[in-house]
Amino acid sequence: MKKIIMSICAALSLAACNDDLLDISPSDRISDNVVWTDPNLIKAYLTNVYNGLPHGYKIHMQSKMTDECVCTINFGAGIIPLGSLSPDNVGSVSIGDWTGGGNLYNWDDAYKYIRNINLFLDKMTTVDMDNKDEMIAEAKFVRAFIYFDLLERFGEVPIVDKAYDITSTETFTSSSFEKVEEFIVKDINEAMVNLPAYYKSTDANFGRATKSAAQALLSRLYLYAASPLFNESNDRTKWQAASKAAKDFIDTYTQYSLYPDYETCFNQPTGRENSEVIFSRNFTTTNGHQNPMNNLGRRYGAYGGWWASNGPSQNLVDDYDMKNGKPAFIWNNGVKSVNPESGYDPQNPYKDRDPRLDASVIHDESVYHGDTFEMWISSDASSWGMDHYKQSGDNPTSGYQMRKFMPGPSEELSWQVTYTQPWIFFRLAEIYLNYAEAEFELGHEDVCREYINKIRTRAGVGILGSDITGENLRARLYNERRIELVFEEHRYFDLRRWKLAEEVENRPMYGIAITKDVATGKKTYAEELLVKRVFTNQMYLLPIATSEIRKNGGTLLQTKTWRK
Amino acid sequence: MALPVMAQKRTVSGTVSDPSGSVIIGANVIVKNTTNGTITDLDGKFKLEDVPSNGVLTVSYIGYKSTDVSVKGKSNLKITLDEDVTVLNEVVAVGYGTQKKATLTGSVATVGGDDIKKSPAPNVGSSLAGKLPGLIVNQRSGEPGRDDPSIIIRGAATLGDSSPLIIIDGVERSNMTRLNPEDIESVAVLKDASAAIYGARAANGVILVTTKKGKEGKTEFSFNFNVGFSNPTKTPKMLDAYTYANVANESDWYSKGRPASYNPLYTDEMLQKYRDGSDPILYPNTDWVSECMRSSALQTRGSFQAKGGNDKMQYLLSFGMLSQGPAYNNYPERNDQYTFRINLNAELTKNLSVGANISAIFNQQKHTTIATWINFSNIMISSPLLPARYPNGLLAGGRLGESPLLLDQRGTDKIKNSPVYSTFTATYKIPGVKGLKLEGSFNYDFNNQFEKMFELPYYYYEYNTATQQYDKMNGTGQSTIALRDTYSSWSTMMYNFRISYDNTFGAHHVAAMLGQEQQRDTYSSANAYRKNFLSSSIDQINVGSTASEDKDNGGSGRKTARNNYFGRFNYDFMSKYLVELLFRVDGSQNFPSNKRYGFFPAASLGWRISEESFIKDNYPFIDQIKLRTSLGKTGNDKVASYQYLQTYSFGGNYVFGSTVNSGIYANTMPNANITWEKSTKFDAGFDASLWNGLLGAEFTYFHESRRDILAARNLSIPNTMGFPSLPDENIGKVNNNGFELRLTHHNTVGKLFYSVEGNVSYAKNKIVFMDETPHTEAYQDLTGRPIGSQLIYKADGIFNTQEELDAYPHANGTQVGDIKIVDLNKDGDIDSDDQYRFDYTATPRTVFGLGGTMRYKNWDMNIFFQGQSGAYNYDSQFASLGSSNKDNAFKKRAENRWTVDNPNGTMPRANAYQPGNTTFFMYDSSFIRLKSLEIGYSLPKELISKVSISDLRFYVSGFNLLTLSKDIKWTDPEISGQSLSYPQQRVINLGVNLKF
Repeated sequence: MKKIIMSICAALSLAACNDDLLDISPSDRISDNVVWTDPNLIKAYLTNVYNGLPHGYKIHMQSKMTDECVCTINFGAGIIPLGSLSPDNVGSVSIGDWTGGGNLYNWDDAYKYIRNINLFLDKMTTVDMDNKDEMIAEAKFVRAFIYFDLLERFGEVPIVDKAYDITSTETFTSSSFEKVEEFIVKDINEAMVNLPAYYKSTDANFGRATKSAAQALLSRLYLYAASPLFNESNDRTKWQAASKAAKDFIDTYTQYSLYPDYETCFNQPTGRENSEVIFSRNFTTTNGHQNPMNNLGRRYGAYGGWWASNGPSQNLVDDYDMKNGKPAFIWNNGVKSVNPESGYDPQNPYKDRDPRLDASVIHDESVYHGDTFEMWISSDASSWGMDHYKQSGDNPTSGYQMRKFMPGPSEELSWQVTYTQPWIFFRLAEIYLNYAEAEFELGHEDVCREYINKIRTRAGVGILGSDITGENLRARLYNERRIELVFEEHRYFDLRRWKLAEEVENRPMYGIAITKDVATGKKTYAEELLVKRVFTNQMYLLPIATSEIRKNGGTLLQTKTWRK
Repeated sequence: MALPVMAQKRTVSGTVSDPSGSVIIGANVIVKNTTNGTITDLDGKFKLEDVPSNGVLTVSYIGYKSTDVSVKGKSNLKITLDEDVTVLNEVVAVGYGTQKKATLTGSVATVGGDDIKKSPAPNVGSSLAGKLPGLIVNQRSGEPGRDDPSIIIRGAATLGDSSPLIIIDGVERSNMTRLNPEDIESVAVLKDASAAIYGARAANGVILVTTKKGKEGKTEFSFNFNVGFSNPTKTPKMLDAYTYANVANESDWYSKGRPASYNPLYTDEMLQKYRDGSDPILYPNTDWVSECMRSSALQTRGSFQAKGGNDKMQYLLSFGMLSQGPAYNNYPERNDQYTFRINLNAELTKNLSVGANISAIFNQQKHTTIATWINFSNIMISSPLLPARYPNGLLAGGRLGESPLLLDQRGTDKIKNSPVYSTFTATYKIPGVKGLKLEGSFNYDFNNQFEKMFELPYYYYEYNTATQQYDKMNGTGQSTIALRDTYSSWSTMMYNFRISYDNTFGAHHVAAMLGQEQQRDTYSSANAYRKNFLSSSIDQINVGSTASEDKDNGGSGRKTARNNYFGRFNYDFMSKYLVELLFRVDGSQNFPSNKRYGFFPAASLGWRISEESFIKDNYPFIDQIKLRTSLGKTGNDKVASYQYLQTYSFGGNYVFGSTVNSGIYANTMPNANITWEKSTKFDAGFDASLWNGLLGAEFTYFHESRRDILAARNLSIPNTMGFPSLPDENIGKVNNNGFELRLTHHNTVGKLFYSVEGNVSYAKNKIVFMDETPHTEAYQDLTGRPIGSQLIYKADGIFNTQEELDAYPHANGTQVGDIKIVDLNKDGDIDSDDQYRFDYTATPRTVFGLGGTMRYKNWDMNIFFQGQSGAYNYDSQFASLGSSNKDNAFKKRAENRWTVDNPNGTMPRANAYQPGNTTFFMYDSSFIRLKSLEIGYSLPKELISKVSISDLRFYVSGFNLLTLSKDIKWTDPEISGQSLSYPQQRVINLGVNLKF
């Protein structure tokens, strides 16, 4: 018996001595001091920073928030077309939303990555490793790009250039457009010193920051800075800066050229040869996207329509020129009518159009992936095509589907495939259009036409003659940008910086109704009103969420257009 | 001054025994109105000196009626104490020991296993609803195997996890709800400071489950078997095709800006076809709920138990099984469960006894490969315009090509879970010191879970109007056969040593206990994935494609530990004045080393005022009244560990060229000062029994103040800081108070025995401080309001006319037929400043239970009602009607909606716009349910004893039989959030009990 007591007591005292019982280090995480002494982990840290540049392959693409695609919902992305956007609900178009929110409200995400970069730049002051200067330059480029993303949305934002810690009580104040622009230019210039000139699209480093990408960012930044929304006094020097930045690019980086075929420029998997793309976000089959399945209709099992679709609008389709280079429609005092000179036939609407229409939009009778699309309904409503929304609510109601970025016939279409079509941030055609626009504003219309025509020639559409001048040329220039850069997250911002949104984004959105006569089989086409749109002038800029204003205790003012 | 005449004194001795003649050890014998007293010895004898010759002795013992005996003329008394049925002689588990209910000073609610067994609910957790004052049980789902209710004690008092600590046979264990109800001896809930014995985990209260043990006597076999039929308590009615299409037209017209000339989505001709069903292929009218629902689901449950033993050894062997099937067609769902238990106690020597309690649960669940909420979206809100099956029998695609009738083609998610719980105990009474003993236990629990998620491609048919053929379409899910095997294992090892002392010195009773406990937990998991199986015939990982892009694997692991010291001291004087002190020093690995240990003390006092003569003499109808109060500190450490370190995780990969580059990212910002939440609990109350048990009452008032509540400062730190997620910090302050009342009545009238028991609990919390920046309007502050209260717009009906709309402020996008939102701050704008804090949440403030038992001859009946009030629910699915995502809506929502033709409608228009949630759709979820009803008949003993059967009983019982709901009449009122979940089940059950 004594033995038992002894052993119980012994066990008791043994257990009591076990003081380090609670000292357990985490088995699934790395600690701070390990990270900043290991070059591989530091590189990995920098890798994640690039995620601060969001790609546009979202369930709700930005296209449906402008006049490229139709959006019929009244929540999420729908608050933009319905005009019910406010500081209270702007979070529902946040890029952190499950739909991707059309990459619109990026405040929270942007500042998260800015802090990541600020912390990186801070830690790198004491790190000694190979490639250090280039890594710092990469981080600064990404920071500059993120600040640009903020600036085009909000017009003025706080400049945060250090990583605060949890005990900080700092609140923030927005800096003016010019101040933020200056900050971005400084980052770009500092980055350029140590960045490599460029990478080919087949290079293992393609997708990392380069001098050419930095110059392209500069070109876009200066173009925006010169635009009416941000250049109220129409300061001509700003247009000169925009022109110079674009021209410098064109003269310096002669490695780039327009890719011969417009459609394949966008629908090739990651890693293919592409002479036009300057900077893009690449993907792999393990780190890819499902953009085709979010956009193609029910034919391939896609959910497109359920998510209120990124179905292209009739408004967009109408804006494609005829192949002969003439606009299919003319606008007169806000009223649209068929351009009699163009040869456009409203009952054969897809014939002889700018080839970029077929490359960007799937319409009735389009052949895509070996399938002929059918968006018609019979005159007695007893039968309909497989791609009509009556067949399935997952077909877009507009009668069009997105074709740009959609994979070619060799790729399987299924939810189980992850797609790797890159998301293009910068390509040469944009630089040409930037240059054309700046030169137009400087009065050099011939240069403007020359660069537009380079793009039209590649597309295979009639070029602009020297008879197109003045406001007429401006309209064609703007439309060229709409068509060439469609779905690439330009239109939303272009309409705003041109101050045209109040006109364009107040127009109702249309789709196409194709009726097939039961007896004759003949199809008739009529535009169909789908949704009424509302744009209020506040919406030129995005509001900052109410909660964020409040958290800053009064120092952070609401975005200019939203101040009461 | 004259000296009083000294009374004559002498010595009196005697024996105290119960009515059967057995002696009573430890009975109190005291000279009335003096402090002169003693207790009876091991032979029930006592000897008391200095007793006045005409004195009266008061003899009392817990569980017996105390009695007064005159000593006049007697020197050797034979005293018999009658059993007191009213003063419960039961013992109550209080953590590391038990106490007699009568001398308990803490606030502990208990329910016996017999009471739990009465309910045919497959889940033990559901059977607790309404049974225990202070325990709030809310059943939110009825899915077999996934029907665990939410259980909290006295409402929420923290901003984080408010779930209680669950201790089964001394160890923190999961699966309480999966226990075999036949194995449960009792469930006790420590609500007040008495929980402090569990220190840092006790602030949310503690549930102690004690399982049955063997008992001395001839072996008793018992056998139970029952069969139940279950179906949903309430299934919402959805729109038929005709109404749906009309609603769709309305909402389409609104979104086009209400044009004067309108081509409807659905023409009158089409509407007619939907209505008359003349074209079931193109114009069907599908009632998805009836297509999918079975008339009932089958549930069977059986158990077998043997117990017995002798004075040296007692044993219990128990086996139980439960099997549940799906309530829906083509829905691969099952829950099969087998439980085993062996409980042995052996007295090895006079002073040393050992015990083992080993139990296991073998649980096999089969579920669909798709998340339940998706399945229920596809059942509930599929458009009625989609065919479920074509007239020729072919199955159609349904919503998103995910018709619920296709679920059985899409593979299964099988989960095998087999936890084994073991407890080994030893008690050694130290010879020579009366009442001193050493106790220890070693517990080792392990659980292995193997999950096999086998996903199959599926197909359906779609009618092609052009070819008039049925095209075979591939489903939207997997296009190849894919399998993921996940193996997870958990272990818990716990030692615990206690030294305790329990003795009585005259009228003084002293008990003390000191102990230490150490616990180590581990978790590890690994998984393997392959796709592109050639065939679905073998669901093993090695059969899948060996191509590297078709394979994937993963895994993770975790370790945690605890170290604690605890103790308890009890003192009572003649079972009249009661004192308890307890403490725990708790070490939790969740905190940095300098913040790891906390000290949690508690004290409680009791006064059995009914033992005082001024009560005894004057109020003979009082059996017992005990006043009690307690005060103590407990902690809560339920937060993520390692928050004091800045750590980085792998992730945030990015592609350069055509290669994925690994990334790392910083986790939550570190908080070097993180430590416990602290709770101070104060309780005061009384227990009473009157008129020989005709009325029993227990009342407790409580106040809890929770401080240093761990919460993230999400509401005040600008996102512009760019922090990755914020750590928990000890910042919140919450007060919580309320009361519990329990009343009992039992009586026998002739051959009818009956008892009634009711309880009601009320708890309301208030945030005293929380991290928030001041709102523009004070009515938006969380401070001063309950946890979880949401900002919401106040609705005032709808805008019936354009004039009304024009006359009142409204948000952009508002049209006639939309909800009228009150401009609370009267600034002429409807914006977020007009939202106010809604004081109620889905957690009820008041819960109640009312039960009755009746026995008459061979018949018995048990009935139990349960309910709640002070809870509100916002169901966003209910709010949605005619939205562009083409979902179906609730019939109740569409009725009397505003339309151009129904301008006086009371419900908002189709596709209504509201800038945020409004009170329009906030509904009171008060209800009262007939939770269970059981009627049994036992065959007469004289009949069955001939075949050596001691008890044979047949019964019929029901669960969730009837629900009366205040506001929510279209679905089960106990839901939280959207009604897109597996509904709560009503069970009708037939069974038999057999004992021999």
